[in-house]
Amino acid sequence: MTGPTASLSHLSRADGSASFKCPTTGYNVLGSVNAPIELPARRDALKPEEATVEVFVKPGNTTAGVGERYVEGILRTMLQKVILGRERGFPRRGVVITLAILGGDAVERGDSYLTLLPALLQTSLLTLLSAGVPMSMTFSTALLAVTKSGDIISDPSPVDAKTASSLHVLAFSPKGHLLLNESQGRFDFDTWESVRERAYSSCRGAVITGSDGDIAMGEEGEDSRAEDFIRETVEDHLHRDYAWKIDSA
Amino acid sequence: MSAPLILLPGDEVPSDHLPSNNSNPLKLGPGLRLLSQPSSKSTPATHVLTATQAGLVTTDAKRNTVSLLSFSNCRYIPTVNDLVIAQIHHSSVDYFHCMVTPHTAHALLGQLSFEGASKKTRPMLKQGELVYARVLSIGVGAGAEVELTCVNPATGKSDPGGLGPLIGGMVFDVSTGMAARLLRASSSSEQSDIIDGLAVLSELGKKLESLGGFELAVGRNGKVWVDCSNAGDSAIKATIAIGRCLQTTDEKSLNPADQKKLVTRILREMNLAS
Repeated sequence: MTGPTASLSHLSRADGSASFKCPTTGYNVLGSVNAPIELPARRDALKPEEATVEVFVKPGNTTAGVGERYVEGILRTMLQKVILGRERGFPRRGVVITLAILGGDAVERGDSYLTLLPALLQTSLLTLLSAGVPMSMTFSTALLAVTKSGDIISDPSPVDAKTASSLHVLAFSPKGHLLLNESQGRFDFDTWESVRERAYSSCRGAVITGSDGDIAMGEEGEDSRAEDFIRETVEDHLHRDYAWKIDSA
Repeated sequence: MSAPLILLPGDEVPSDHLPSNNSNPLKLGPGLRLLSQPSSKSTPATHVLTATQAGLVTTDAKRNTVSLLSFSNCRYIPTVNDLVIAQIHHSSVDYFHCMVTPHTAHALLGQLSFEGASKKTRPMLKQGELVYARVLSIGVGAGAEVELTCVNPATGKSDPGGLGPLIGGMVFDVSTGMAARLLRASSSSEQSDIIDGLAVLSELGKKLESLGGFELAVGRNGKVWVDCSNAGDSAIKATIAIGRCLQTTDEKSLNPADQKKLVTRILREMNLAS
């Protein structure tokens, strides 16, 4: 299995940009962020002490609809908590994030948007890092599906996701706190608990021994941790930018 | 020097990376913040330094500073005392309204804040003309105006020299990280060819000396102004060549050896090789 790929800062006119490609789902998302910028027409909607975060999700082949509005809302509430909107120069200004879906199966009207959510979250995190927007922490996300027979699949393909009985998107902070939990479908508390453990280990690589003690140990090695992926992408880029400084040291 | 340390937002700066100079207080540069836990009954107050941006940690033991270098293509945000190249947008009774970065509010430059300017002898700048200016103040809070000046208000001289209208020449865009490097390289007192990994300027200087040399002004807002008016017929060619050398060095982050090769190649392509 090949891991996701990403590149940073390739749009020259945006303050920050990133693209993210996930091979298992086939999604390819291009993101840009402009911050801090003046939002002149929205003076009533601006918060006096904080930056206003706006997220726009643009599907590649149609205009944005209800599904995009829904996912924009999830992204906005999540990112608003992570961005330090009270830093100098940010209050009463806007952080505008635009995410364009370039590849992958289009999400049809009425379909679940959760399959796309991790890719959108990763892309927006990378664009914010690329623009140097102050943030209190990074995060890592995982998408899991529970099949009708009760198996948990991480990073399900679109076909798996369609037939799954429930879909879960979870995001964790580097300290292991749960930042986002979006679930869809029928499931019970025990299922959710094992989903959370599985998501935690795929995000952070730590093995949590469940109450029954039989956690599949084989999978930790082959799955690269989602958290490391962000770090490696950023480190690669910074190494290239500051090669002159690092080499001379 | 220890291995380069790259932090992501939320990461703590390890205490062994901080400068160990205790004579004056530690200063934090951009991208870092201090988080304190107030002392309670059981634990004493603890302080940690965490990053708010992704970047490379750099420390200066002499001045006891620690800062985070973020991506080099970040947008320029005006800071007091930065040297910038601004373009006049329009003028009003007291001020020239200048553009420092695209799509942001105009910066103000007083009609009389030039060296030796008085009500009768002030520069009449037109739309689109360029000035090399220093950021005087950035105001307080959102929507505040950035004010520029071409003169030191205390002495009445242009300080550092060279501030004022830029006549002739051409402006090239580079990344803000590159602009900062070029400024350091040109202001550094070291007499070496390679400063901050930049050999391109000294190499160009050597190669173009026979043509009469060139003038360069670097703005922190990612602009470089180049003028070769001494070069006579090949002035335009030389200007373009210098701009191309700087932009390619920036885009491809070339190392000093490659920079020298690039200069030779571009000058040969433009038939400027001496």
